[in-house]
Amino acid sequence: MAALSNADRALVVQLIMRNHDQRSLPCGITKAELRAAVNAADDWADTNAGAYNTALPLPARTTLSAAQKGFLLAYVVVRRAGG
Amino acid sequence: MASGNTLCRFHPAAYEPAATNFPVPGVRNNHPTLDFDPITQQTCYFTDVLPKAYSGGGLTLRVRWMAASATSGDCVWLSAIERIDAGTLDTDADSFASDQTVTTTTNGASGISVESVMTFTSGAAMDSLAAGETFRLRLERDADVGGDSMTGNAQLVSAVLEET
Repeated sequence: MAALSNADRALVVQLIMRNHDQRSLPCGITKAELRAAVNAADDWADTNAGAYNTALPLPARTTLSAAQKGFLLAYVVVRRAGG
Repeated sequence: MASGNTLCRFHPAAYEPAATNFPVPGVRNNHPTLDFDPITQQTCYFTDVLPKAYSGGGLTLRVRWMAASATSGDCVWLSAIERIDAGTLDTDADSFASDQTVTTTTNGASGISVESVMTFTSGAAMDSLAAGETFRLRLERDADVGGDSMTGNAQLVSAVLEET
């Protein structure tokens, strides 16, 4: 799964800001700084996608689709963040 | 009217949305707000009548707003006046004077409002609006300009026009 496009990264920024507003989460960085953080997170995910895949046990590693593995990680991380 | 006296007051509930890309009403701890997006420039209007007590000294617009979640960053506002002089203006087309603009840093606490001030000198800058005439005030957050760095919505609390 390739890194996100510019449009998708911009959409992620919008979604994060909306989440902050709806949940009244204080945000002490600017729009440009938030975009830089999103870029870095996406780059990290792209760089470490192979390592994540290797960390998954069988049969999940070979049976689940890339999208399913992505959602799996997303749900785990969101839950860890209190979501 | 003396300098600093209030001429017109604008409340979020009295806004008139643009046909597209307009702010949306919100509420914050039961305080009505008008929420301006952080990405897309959004436009609204307010219609009022300039009091006959206006002395001709120009107008000062004070926009009171707060950040929905941001605790840093700048918000850029634009405003313009359209004189609706009876017998002259064809309201089928917009006829606003040039925008005034101001950049304001949000408060370090998102629920605390700040004030952004824009002035319209007497004459063309306020579309030559005269005392007793109807007018529209156009208010926008210039969210897509580089100087608008604040994340999240800008929530309008109120706006006031004063004699400068």
